[in-house]
Amino acid sequence: MVNAQCLPVYALALLPRNLRLAEALRTMPSATTLSADFEQLALPLFASLYNHAFWLTRNQAEAEDLVQETFTKALRAFDTFESGTNFKAWIFRILRNTFLTTRAGIGASRTVFLEDHPDTFDTATVGATPEDILIRLDNQAALHTALEQLQPQLREALLLCDVEGIKYKDIALILDVPIGTVMSRISRARRTLRQILLPQFGESL
Amino acid sequence: MNQAPQTNQSTAHLDPDKLSAFIDGELPPAEQQGIEQHLTTCHACTLRVLSATRLKGAIARAGQRFAPPPEALARLTAQLRSQTQAKPQLQVEAKRTARIYSMPSLRPAVWTALAATILLTVSLLGWRQLHQTNTLAAELLDQHLATLSTGAIPQVISTDRHTVKPWFQGRLPFSFNLPDTTALPPDTVLKGADLTYLNGQPAALLFFTIHKHEVSVFLTQRAARPTLTTLPSIRAGFTLQTATTPDLRIIAVSDVNPADLDLLVASLVHAQSPA
Repeated sequence: MVNAQCLPVYALALLPRNLRLAEALRTMPSATTLSADFEQLALPLFASLYNHAFWLTRNQAEAEDLVQETFTKALRAFDTFESGTNFKAWIFRILRNTFLTTRAGIGASRTVFLEDHPDTFDTATVGATPEDILIRLDNQAALHTALEQLQPQLREALLLCDVEGIKYKDIALILDVPIGTVMSRISRARRTLRQILLPQFGESL
Repeated sequence: MNQAPQTNQSTAHLDPDKLSAFIDGELPPAEQQGIEQHLTTCHACTLRVLSATRLKGAIARAGQRFAPPPEALARLTAQLRSQTQAKPQLQVEAKRTARIYSMPSLRPAVWTALAATILLTVSLLGWRQLHQTNTLAAELLDQHLATLSTGAIPQVISTDRHTVKPWFQGRLPFSFNLPDTTALPPDTVLKGADLTYLNGQPAALLFFTIHKHEVSVFLTQRAARPTLTTLPSIRAGFTLQTATTPDLRIIAVSDVNPADLDLLVASLVHAQSPA
């Protein structure tokens, strides 16, 4: 086998492409350093990614598989990650794209979502004071149920914003939609949640 | 309280998308400031902003709902390590060569990762069992010592097994038999009983005396905690004697002679077997 390290620079051009690329990657200081860096950035996000994966798949085994596959892909592609950019957004995007290739994800992506549907929740808080809403927020079970009833596209955007604290522009990257769509999905998600929460408690509160 | 004017006014003042973006801090600074100024004069909009902020906080808590299984992180780390170790090999070799040689080169890494995971799991299980066993022993001793204090009065004070046994009906999810007075070892007397919780499950606590020594006997369902099989036989000078029947787990705690405690436990075991 040719030892590329012993050859002059111009001779590298004569080597087979695969070998040249492989050698270049090998001699970079990155092979193990990169994976250590990757683990340092990615492992603290494990619980968040799992939680989000569970919301997407609604299944424990599938959520774990999805996160494992996400980590595998992310590690493989880590040398393409631009340092200084948002790693969390980057890996959540991989998670989502991986989800979309699963059976459940394909099903979800086929669901038609009417972004520009006329707003039917315009006066969502009619009949209830904001204080009523505050009282209801103490009821975690009701909130869980309401979140489950939310359309997946709305829930996804809302969870990325409220649970993960990701900015709109990064959510737009993750979901691959314009930032205006992110804004309207989050707003619509909140209004829908209110609508779901209101009738459960009647108007007596 | 009439809500309509308030709602109409607030809707006109702050549209829902703007309100939502405002609480997320996603509006341009000028727009953000404009809204802040509006809020100083508009009570209705302020209430809506407050309500929306609280909703956001509640969603953040409710949305963080699914925790990964404890062993999932170990599985993931093992997978990443094996991937990292396999990566340079795959990069150096050409595709076809890699297909031939990567399997043997992957194997040690995979086996190492697997061995590490198994070792971790086994040691964790061992630690957990030891930890649970020690906790259980401490719990048993604590409860026994509590019964020795003068202020502790059992719920049932009776030497009659026909009074003690029925008292547990409806209080425990299982039943048990008590030996007849004549079937008890010499100078062993049933004093009373109580309902207690041991290791998180309901238990019958029976009080006996053997030659003036106090004895606490705990009866629990056996199936509920199958991993707990070994307890230390002596803890802090007290003897812990364990026995099992197909349905029950019997643990006796006392400072009496271990041989006498054995006899009591044996008589209890014997009482469980069908006549």
